[in-house]
Amino acid sequence: MGPRSRRRASGNPCRSRNPRDNREPMDYAIETIGLTKIFSDWWGRARVYAVDDLNLQIRPNEVFGLLGPNGSGKTTTIKMLLGLLHPTKGHALILGGDGTHPKISARIGFLPEESYLYRFLNARETLDFYGRLFGLDARTRQVRIEALLDIVGLKAVASRPVGTYSKGMARRIGLAQALINDPDLLILDEPTTGLDPIGTRQIKDLIQKLAERGKTVLLCSHLLADVEDVCHRIAILYGGKIQSQGHVRELLQQTHKTQIVSDALSDTAVNRIRRILSEEHVDCEITAPMEKLETFFIKTVVEAQQQARPTSGAVSTTQIGDFLAAGTRKENILDKLVASSVAEKAPVAPARTETVQPRETVTPEPNRDVLRKLTLTGAAAETERVAPESGPRTPPVETPAEVPQEEIRKSVLDKLTKDDTPNPPAQDGGSGHA
Amino acid sequence: MRRIWAVATNTIRQALRMKVAAIFIVLLLVLLPVMGFTATGDGTLKGRLQTFVSYGLSLTSMLLSLLTIIVSIYAITSDLEHRQIYTVVTKPIRRYQIVLGKILGVVMLDVALLVLFAGIVYSVTSLIPQFMKASDQERQAARNEFYTARASLVPPVLDVQKDVEALYTRLLRNDQLDLIYPNMTRDEIFKQLTNRLRLEKRAATVGQMLVWEFHNVRPLDPNQSLFVRFKYDVSVTPPDEQVYGDWHIGDQRQFLPGARVQHYTRTVRQTRKDAVRKFHELEAPASVVAKDGYLAVGFFNPPLNETVVLFPLEDGLEVLYKADTFTGNFLRAVLLILCRLVFLACLGALAASFLSFPVAILFCLVIFFTGSTSGFIVDSFGYMSETTNRIYTYTIQGIIQLLPQFDKYSPTTYLVSARLMTWGFLGKVALIMVIVQASLLLAFALIIFSFRELAKVVV
Repeated sequence: MGPRSRRRASGNPCRSRNPRDNREPMDYAIETIGLTKIFSDWWGRARVYAVDDLNLQIRPNEVFGLLGPNGSGKTTTIKMLLGLLHPTKGHALILGGDGTHPKISARIGFLPEESYLYRFLNARETLDFYGRLFGLDARTRQVRIEALLDIVGLKAVASRPVGTYSKGMARRIGLAQALINDPDLLILDEPTTGLDPIGTRQIKDLIQKLAERGKTVLLCSHLLADVEDVCHRIAILYGGKIQSQGHVRELLQQTHKTQIVSDALSDTAVNRIRRILSEEHVDCEITAPMEKLETFFIKTVVEAQQQARPTSGAVSTTQIGDFLAAGTRKENILDKLVASSVAEKAPVAPARTETVQPRETVTPEPNRDVLRKLTLTGAAAETERVAPESGPRTPPVETPAEVPQEEIRKSVLDKLTKDDTPNPPAQDGGSGHA
Repeated sequence: MRRIWAVATNTIRQALRMKVAAIFIVLLLVLLPVMGFTATGDGTLKGRLQTFVSYGLSLTSMLLSLLTIIVSIYAITSDLEHRQIYTVVTKPIRRYQIVLGKILGVVMLDVALLVLFAGIVYSVTSLIPQFMKASDQERQAARNEFYTARASLVPPVLDVQKDVEALYTRLLRNDQLDLIYPNMTRDEIFKQLTNRLRLEKRAATVGQMLVWEFHNVRPLDPNQSLFVRFKYDVSVTPPDEQVYGDWHIGDQRQFLPGARVQHYTRTVRQTRKDAVRKFHELEAPASVVAKDGYLAVGFFNPPLNETVVLFPLEDGLEVLYKADTFTGNFLRAVLLILCRLVFLACLGALAASFLSFPVAILFCLVIFFTGSTSGFIVDSFGYMSETTNRIYTYTIQGIIQLLPQFDKYSPTTYLVSARLMTWGFLGKVALIMVIVQASLLLAFALIIFSFRELAKVVV
């Protein structure tokens, strides 16, 4: 906790208001210069370039996605960043220094590609152990452990050896250990593998919350949907080289198309629109928008839970309530945990401001954004996804829409992002953003 | 330190919960008490006690050694194998702190288990006399020759170099060398002559008296006994294989002409007949020792014998007296075992820093068993060194010096024979085994672990 607390103690208000000023001499949270890793066989032959002259720059306070197929060098890069592997050539800088130096690693949270845990410890002991490695005192550890167990939804099974955990649960505790030091930089290698859609959603939301709190996140994955949802910038690796890099929206935006989303329209209105467009000589396709399967799935499970709470669920992966229904006390702790010196600037997600959002109106309050993502029928954020056919599932979605909103309004996520404004009233699920 | 401590406690948890330690603990918990009542030795109380203490402590030492090897290796290699090291080493902890933490954990576990099992051995040893029918004589023997820590004094090895040279030259001049020692090199002849002259100084012809003087004799309690342990050899074996001996024990200085004596010290005289080539113990009150720690032991060869009586060079004569309690000796014996375990923990860490689990175990076991028979190995190489050249002296011998010598520093031999293990001896062992050898191993382990790649290559 050394550097962190010292920085807080210095307490320069100007600094904490603007994240850009917070960077000391370093420009990037992560920077690699000509990073190369060559694996050779025992005789020094048959060389494989796992990472080849990689120049990566990740700015503070952004969520950066490192994409690539299996064996493209993502994990090798991370291992070199953290000093688990020695680079053959080049340098890797984390937070302006060597990732193995205790002062630097005290500010890093790392989740490896699998949660490598001590099977004989239970969840609490696991987190306590890692907390002690950070030199946290007993009180801080206690507070954070309880908060983290809440966040990852493992409180009910916290006294079971983690060796008996399912993969998803192991993933959650792995994420919790990466957060125990309230890191400035989070390095997550495939954070959502083994998680069910709800767990995946929760992790993604958490990443977004953390980014809003001023954390830098390096997300490494081959699950494209995950990356698309949370990352500001991405780089696609293949054969150890960056093949493509840039802002997600810039890379994915189809500048030659326009999408309009509205409330359900009458046939006459539709025909009128068609007429207007044909006068412009533009082809169009008008359908009822598709809901994302993820949203639908979460809604369905929540509904099922409302009707008959399953008692078999020692695993909380399906219990969104476990994770969301945190009391005020916990929420405060959570706030404290997740809040860094930049907590005050949360209302405007800083990294977002630089993303190009030409055709999407993003409400400035991030909590609304998340609420919408979780509950809206017409997933407004995913404008690129033009639904080609009308789905037959729209009606059942409409009816239970009230219930999950009730549930979600209590959510920790909500409180996490609580930026001194009271929780917004439940929005009408269908309200459109043109 | 906090971080090292965190790793250490985690290592202990691992050892206990992964049931590695459990097997050894259960084994010892069952075996030790059972052994207490099945070990009979030669049937006497003393024999039973000696057998139990010997087997009990050896078993404890052996099993804890194996446990130490396994746990110290497992603690490191399993982290690498199962990759928990990824999440540990990326925390603000230095790699050497991880290794130190692991070793500290293993040593702490060792200390706890050693206290437990040594406690059991000690308790059973104290309880055996109460649960056994034994004559008073046997109890007396057990008290004097087992529940004690006797210091041993042996006559100093005399320097006869000049006499040997003189004798050699004389023999050479008279051309007698080849007659007496045919086909021998000069070195070999010198060795023979040295032995001969030394033995001559420990031989009493009929009517002759031998006197040995000892200084710094400090019995724990003057009211208890001291013992002269001796073995006769003779030039002509008597028909009944027994010889007479007239022993005088005390401060002989007070009888010298002109001696000014302030306090007369008691003197004991004993005439006895004993079998030759067997050990005997002569008991005398410890008050025969003078205030300044002086003691003289005299042997007079009476004319009845008709033979020269010799005291063999290695074990012909020694004076034993109670210098400490059994408890004190036992404590030092246990600490000696701890030295051994610390060494093995460091050895395990070194092996684990660059070898995989099975190979590291094999490596350590080889060293362990070599160390347990080091006397044999050192001796055999010692003989070799006489015939081979200097290259040996500077290579193999150096490596052998690094080997642990568990058999040479065995804790049980002291307890079984109730010999005093001095703090000085323990300090010497700690210096060699822990401060020199173990530290060296540890330094190598830390260096290797600090600079190796911890992740496996996956492409």
